[in-house]
Amino acid sequence: MLIIGEKLSIIAKRVREAMIKKDKGPIQEIAIRQWKEGSGMIDANIGPAEDGGEELMQWMVTTIQEVVPLPVCLDTTNYQAIEAGLRVHNNEWGRPLINSTSNDPERFPILELAAKYNSQVIGLTVGKGGLPADAGERAAIAAEIMARAMEYGVPLEDIYLDPLVLQIATSQDHALKVIEAIKMFQEMNDPAMKTVVGLSNISNGCPKHIRPILNKYYFIMLMNAGLTAAIADAHEMAEAMQEKKLIDDVLAGKTLADAAKMTEITKTLDVIMGKTLYAHSYLEM
Amino acid sequence: MALTGVEIFKLLPKTNCKKCGHPTCLAFAMKLAQRQASLDACPDVSEEAKKILGEASAPPIRSIAFGSGDKAVKMGEENVLFRHEKKFVNPCAFAVELKDSMSDDEINKIVDNVINSEIDRVGQKLRIDAICITNTSGDAGKFESVVKAVSANAPAVSLILSTSNPQAAEAALKAVADKKPILYGADESNADAMAAIAKNNKVILGIIAKGLDALTALTEKIKGLGVEDMVIDSGARTAKEILEANTYIRRAAIKKNFKALGYPVITFAQRDDKMLETLIATLGVTKYSSIVVLSSIEKWKDLALFTLRQNIYTDPQVPMQVEQKIYKIGETTADAPLTITTNFSLTYFIVSGEIENSKVPTRLAVMDCEGLSVLTAWAAGKFTASKIAQFIQESGIENEVAKKELIIPGYVAILSGAIEDKLPGWKVVVGPREANGLPAFLRARA
Amino acid sequence: MAFVAPKETYSGKVFEVTIGADKTAVFGGENVLPFYSFEGNVPHKPVIAYEIQDVPPEDWPETVKNVYEGVSGDPVTWAKYCQDKLNAQAIALRLVGTHPDRENRSSEDAAKTVKDVLSAINVPLIILGSNHIEKDSSVLVAVSEAAKGKNCIIGKAQEGNYKTIAAAAMANNHKLIAMSELDINLSKQLNILITQMGFDKERLITDPMCSALGYGLEYTYSVMERIRLAALAQNDATMQPPMLADVGMYVWKIKETQASEADLPMWGSLKERGIAWETVTAGSLLISGAEFLIMRHPEAIAAVEKFIEELM
Repeated sequence: MLIIGEKLSIIAKRVREAMIKKDKGPIQEIAIRQWKEGSGMIDANIGPAEDGGEELMQWMVTTIQEVVPLPVCLDTTNYQAIEAGLRVHNNEWGRPLINSTSNDPERFPILELAAKYNSQVIGLTVGKGGLPADAGERAAIAAEIMARAMEYGVPLEDIYLDPLVLQIATSQDHALKVIEAIKMFQEMNDPAMKTVVGLSNISNGCPKHIRPILNKYYFIMLMNAGLTAAIADAHEMAEAMQEKKLIDDVLAGKTLADAAKMTEITKTLDVIMGKTLYAHSYLEM
Repeated sequence: MALTGVEIFKLLPKTNCKKCGHPTCLAFAMKLAQRQASLDACPDVSEEAKKILGEASAPPIRSIAFGSGDKAVKMGEENVLFRHEKKFVNPCAFAVELKDSMSDDEINKIVDNVINSEIDRVGQKLRIDAICITNTSGDAGKFESVVKAVSANAPAVSLILSTSNPQAAEAALKAVADKKPILYGADESNADAMAAIAKNNKVILGIIAKGLDALTALTEKIKGLGVEDMVIDSGARTAKEILEANTYIRRAAIKKNFKALGYPVITFAQRDDKMLETLIATLGVTKYSSIVVLSSIEKWKDLALFTLRQNIYTDPQVPMQVEQKIYKIGETTADAPLTITTNFSLTYFIVSGEIENSKVPTRLAVMDCEGLSVLTAWAAGKFTASKIAQFIQESGIENEVAKKELIIPGYVAILSGAIEDKLPGWKVVVGPREANGLPAFLRARA
Repeated sequence: MAFVAPKETYSGKVFEVTIGADKTAVFGGENVLPFYSFEGNVPHKPVIAYEIQDVPPEDWPETVKNVYEGVSGDPVTWAKYCQDKLNAQAIALRLVGTHPDRENRSSEDAAKTVKDVLSAINVPLIILGSNHIEKDSSVLVAVSEAAKGKNCIIGKAQEGNYKTIAAAAMANNHKLIAMSELDINLSKQLNILITQMGFDKERLITDPMCSALGYGLEYTYSVMERIRLAALAQNDATMQPPMLADVGMYVWKIKETQASEADLPMWGSLKERGIAWETVTAGSLLISGAEFLIMRHPEAIAAVEKFIEELM
């Protein structure tokens, strides 16, 4: 399982301020921490980055790779910024990953970059206008992305299909559909297609204290479905691995000695599997 | 049971020849699994695969095109019981009844009303889709002449010919068979004759039997006689009966793959009380009718029912969008504040509702972001500083406002500097993150 | 192949709620989807309350304002008219006049209005605030006390003010409307928060927020269907209170109920159009799960009541 450290995102205030001030300190500190916690790649999310995106992405890539021997996941909708990042990326630490192409025509040219720079690329299975309704629709989009990748000369081994994790607080039924999609994607090629998720989105909008719980248990369920990579909090995922056996036991119908843990896991799995309706206080019910 | 894309793929030639219009056999298979493509598009598929796939890929409710030309109505193909699960596919058609015993004036009036029923609503053209001509006179010649006249006066309108008399059916179809009408009125007593007529004329057969047991027996019999395209009527007429029959039919087709009831349903909603008729039609639209027959055309009734149909058949996965423009809420003057948000309709409804609550007249600039909410639109690069600046500039609003000040949602506070850079002379003010913070915010500034 | 009716039965059931002290009204109690009496038990018809308000309805469109001409100047006369002449099963008194941007009437004024109306009628009373989060939390406390013992419905408790309102409804033995904004998960959350205060879940009414036909109706429709399915199929007790569709207020402010036929000839008669708009909005929300409705136009209410008769 490849963990792509998610912490360097413009959404986080501290990171955003460091990006604006070009202050390497916080960026490198966070990059190093994620590496030590087990990340195999670092996500650099600079947002849409309309202005100065090229310079910012280059600065991010070099700033990160100065201190950690890892490849970078270039996360922006800005084509030029991605290309700029790819130009300075140090491939000695591994090949970069572009986040992302999709079925939106605006995002097709991203594949050109992947081919030109021999980069890996995430294929997000959404089109223009509207979200996929279920796993089948995600797979249909995946097939189109795969076909397009071949046209552009991007090998299928370099594609990570992303079914798009949605917030459980607003789109609960998609939690299970994403798991199904991960299974379907793998069947679509031999060797199996690689898959990736932006994991923490599952708990986006949920109260702070339950976010890690949802993230961890959802991660284990995705892992059991064959997930290859996750953009996630490496620290949380390391914890998840320690709890994996407990979760698997509950999934197998066993009773845990720790009753409180058992309840927490059961309630969370029920919410993920759509057996009970999500509410922020679901653990208290 | 439906096959998955990968299962279908295994039955395809795997040549990636692209003749089907898809880049690979896998992509084609995935489209087939979604029923977004037809197997006919593959010239090289084996007969055996065709047989397996044909059975597996037939939708649980038969797909039938009613009428001809660009106003033909598609029916059937539904996959779910509840619209939140997945889009309801083919919007229910509205037909108005016309009796062959009516005077010429009455008939012409109905025909005119149908032709002129088209209304434009949120970018869609909506209309009464069909005329249901009933053989109330009992006279075959009369029926034939009325059908002929209606067809001549309203050549593009789809027709339902309602008669249980095979001679009348035969006579009337002479003039209109090529328009793919529905011949409604096959029952247990006339099934053989009506099936033969429908088959020879290649029209859709509307069949009626009292109750779902009898209806099942009758569709099976008629299918055995070689008629594939049917619309079905269980004889349900009261609201309670319609709800029960339509629910059982939809469930049997979708959850049990029960082919004998896997046909579009026709519902007769005619009532003397027009408000009640509107409600029976409401039941048909929401609960699984493919055709609702009305007794009359009133513009107010059309508008309400067209709007309902549009609402119910909206794709829940595609966010409803409102038109990009600057909306005025309340009696706005040049001093009224200007706020901006995205064109996701729910965002718009809630934001405009909160502005109304505030009682502060306000301009609300709604920007086309493909129906995404604020934060999602920003992350997807659709609600960015340069796009906002461009929209505000092109709107010409700066000539209407006293103060060039734009209130942006708190969620995109990060954009305030960049928007000011791109909109010289404007001041950007960061508003609340959530719409419910707007009343206090607007009042504090007023 | 013989047809076998694909019946569905559910483990859950909607709570039955009784309101009123003299004459009462009962709704809810079904263990199937709305009006699915062919596969389960639908013991009560949905109840429709006539909406009146504490101040004259100057902001209502002509079609519906005219109906109450001569009685709507005073809430007591108006309430009696609805009860005695229109045979209202229940009356919903909306205290819009308490809104700070309207007449800004005091809690004491509101309490007096409620007492006066209660002493004039014997059908159940629903008491609604002005939908101003802060003001409602004082007004609804005062009116709850004023209506003590009358088994009213108090509304609406929202995320921002539920604590004081729920406490007052609980102390004075009323039912309570919990409203959230078109979000099933937040609706469940609010019901949880209110019951965590010790409020009996069987005294709650869920308002997932109404939307008018053509103005987001499909959101309300689907949220209601999903709430009902959670109550029945998942046996989720937090989603088992009956649901409110507060139809009139949302319908009689949109263009379709106000634009003249002269301006928009394609839209047809303004009067029927307005009534049909309220009728169809109410009818579709009944089908998606509302057990309790608040409406304005007597002809719309009459049509919907006929529809309910036919569905039962």
